[in-house]
Amino acid sequence: MTAQVQDVLTFMQQQAPFGQLAYSATDYFVEHLEIIYVSAQNQTQWFKSEQPHLYLVRSGHFDLRSERGELITRLAEGDYFGYPSLLTGEPISNQLEVVQAGLVYVLPQSAFDFLRHEYKPFEQYFVRAHAKRLLSSHYKESASGWSEHRVSELMSRAAVTLTPLASIQEAAKVMKKHRVSSIMVTENDQLAGVVTDRDLRNRVLAEGLDPARAIREIMTVRPKYIYENNRIFSALHLMLKHNIHHLPVLNEDRTPMGMITSTDLLRQQKSDPVQLIGRIYKARSYGEVQQLAKEIPDLLSDFANKIEDISLIGQLLSGLSDALTGRLIDLYQQQHGTAPTPFAWICFGSQAREEQTLHSDQDNGLLLPEGVTDEQRGYFAQLGGFVCQQLDECGIRTCPGNIMASNPQCRGTLSEWCDRFTTWTHAPTPHAMLNCKIYFDLRFIAGSDVLFGQFLHHLSEIPKNELFYAAMAADINVNTVPIGLFQQFKLQQDKHKHKYLDLKKRGVVIINDIVRLYALQAGISKPNTLQRLRALKNHQVLSSEDIANLQDCWRFLTQLRLRTQIDREGLPENCINPEQLSSLERHQLKEAFQLVKQAQQACAFKFARGSL
Amino acid sequence: MNWLTRLRNWHAYRHQRLADVDLVVLDLELTGLDPKRDEIVSAAWVEIRQGRIILGTARHVVNKEVRQLGQSPVIHGVDERALALGCSLRTLLQQLAEVLEQSMLVCHNAILDWGFLKRAFVQHEIVMRPERILDTMQIERQRLLRQGQTLAADCLTLSACRQRYDLPSACEHHALSDALSTAELLLAQNSQLGGTQGALLRQLT
Repeated sequence: MTAQVQDVLTFMQQQAPFGQLAYSATDYFVEHLEIIYVSAQNQTQWFKSEQPHLYLVRSGHFDLRSERGELITRLAEGDYFGYPSLLTGEPISNQLEVVQAGLVYVLPQSAFDFLRHEYKPFEQYFVRAHAKRLLSSHYKESASGWSEHRVSELMSRAAVTLTPLASIQEAAKVMKKHRVSSIMVTENDQLAGVVTDRDLRNRVLAEGLDPARAIREIMTVRPKYIYENNRIFSALHLMLKHNIHHLPVLNEDRTPMGMITSTDLLRQQKSDPVQLIGRIYKARSYGEVQQLAKEIPDLLSDFANKIEDISLIGQLLSGLSDALTGRLIDLYQQQHGTAPTPFAWICFGSQAREEQTLHSDQDNGLLLPEGVTDEQRGYFAQLGGFVCQQLDECGIRTCPGNIMASNPQCRGTLSEWCDRFTTWTHAPTPHAMLNCKIYFDLRFIAGSDVLFGQFLHHLSEIPKNELFYAAMAADINVNTVPIGLFQQFKLQQDKHKHKYLDLKKRGVVIINDIVRLYALQAGISKPNTLQRLRALKNHQVLSSEDIANLQDCWRFLTQLRLRTQIDREGLPENCINPEQLSSLERHQLKEAFQLVKQAQQACAFKFARGSL
Repeated sequence: MNWLTRLRNWHAYRHQRLADVDLVVLDLELTGLDPKRDEIVSAAWVEIRQGRIILGTARHVVNKEVRQLGQSPVIHGVDERALALGCSLRTLLQQLAEVLEQSMLVCHNAILDWGFLKRAFVQHEIVMRPERILDTMQIERQRLLRQGQTLAADCLTLSACRQRYDLPSACEHHALSDALSTAELLLAQNSQLGGTQGALLRQLT
């Protein structure tokens, strides 16, 4: 009598579809199994077209490639292959590439046919897997979500341009001839302004202006624009935010390339949460704003399944928060009168870095001009309190650290804010370091961007000495990556005895901290980590390889982290149980942590002279 | 066997590869480590043909005649109840002798297993001498020494060897699991040493 190897049985019981089948199916499978060891050198002898088999990866990693050499999928422990030819009878067309040699279980066709015949769920599983594989390879060819396309792909028409001295009538004629609703006004090949249908109506006809006059007088000067390499997503965001319908497109040299219109975008658009941003900017009451905010979680999980670059989710959520905040400020001003002085509503932390999640809380403040009176301060106190409370009702929690515009400390004039920053940078206590980590990631949301620009300028002028950088570097190194000496995960345990890894605190946050430190030193004012890294390419502080590594790690950890938020199982926020990852992901995760650790050490060496 | 046959065999052997021969990978459960005093509790084996482990050939035979289990069940888990379901040592040896006919024997630390088996075969007057014995532990030892490594005390255990080839961890000290683990290790070693065609047998002995 055959004896069954318990290890193999246990392993097979955990694999789909055997978990759902009678025990006898697993038993039969194991009884007819053969085991081979597949390495890059010996692989040619195993996979022969005349003898199709079902293969199951037990260990190692393999890339499955199509005839044309395109990667179909990466196979790791528990992945089947070879079933398409068992099902269709067609010869094997895909090729296997060994990434890491390992054991593969092999089931002959006769045994596969028996199981398929005897157990319906077994057959269904492989028929479905086959259909899915066909779909996914087709899907990849037909490119993913439209909003990830580049602006240049959408822009069909060449730029229609005129000089500022051309007459209004001439402009109208050109627009008629090219059948466009707007033209770009250029001076020395640089964008100077835009004239649209609406300008001809509102600024010429309605005002009774002489059509012989120069278009310089009616054009919108310094219009918003977008680069051809940007994503359509960004274009739409910009148009909705500023309520404009025509957006000039420039190339890297800032030469006008063409115009995209809201109709171009709407034609592309199916159902997308980006539309929601537009609806929020148009909401007429607080109630309506709150109603729209309720749609965010559903739309988000829907959107998450559609796009490949999941880091867009953070951008999208921040975009939504920006929209909510901006609209609430507008509505408040409509009801209680326009603000007595210019102001700037700014945000900090994750919203500023555009990596907000559904669980992020509020971090915001108000920037006021010098010489603001007590009475005027009263108005802003009301505004701050109101907006923060409304945001809370929209699902963005209040900040436990009270970094909110409702807190008088977070409503200051230019010099008051600068004083706070100066105190932190000059006396780098642990508490000051904590503040620096939150407040140095800041972004403008609403109000006067001129005021905000002045603030940024002042901030960059605040002298930061070596002691400050050393303290930041030391602070970064307090936090360690969860990898032991022998490449083992160091797991934490909660009170329910779940073991887990904290991807945010011990991964993403460390990268953010490191990048912030380099960015501050290089004088980069962008808050977003990836943008900062991109900007750092022009400075000589980090090698391009280090930058690429940090970008990849950040993306990988963020992706993993957001995925766990969408489907998590009883673990604390942002945490995963590495046991539940595929062995490939575990491998990548270890590698990512290792790179973070190296960056941490490099940082300590550079800024703290290795004195840690 | 005349000298000509022997020469022919030797010549054939020089070019023989692992994939060309049938192998029986064996592991014994014992009551201790001394062949003179201790007994075979069970034997488990699985065959490799043309470089494939055939799970359908896996056998686990328990010797119901064990006199003194002592503390050994702690390690291998075969207790009195399991013993009662076994067969006589003679039957066990006969079954094993049958599969070993025309095959090579593979063990992890063959000195121990073959030491017990040789003695048992002689005692039961079964004429049995496997064509050749491969030892995955010795293969690994030679490989590490060739790489100029100094060998730590426990670097040659079955699980330590498997880890070096990134083979998945398995439940240890169960005869059949260990036999399969050894078989998998041999395939990995064969691929590592031999490249496209697999290793020559003489590289492995």
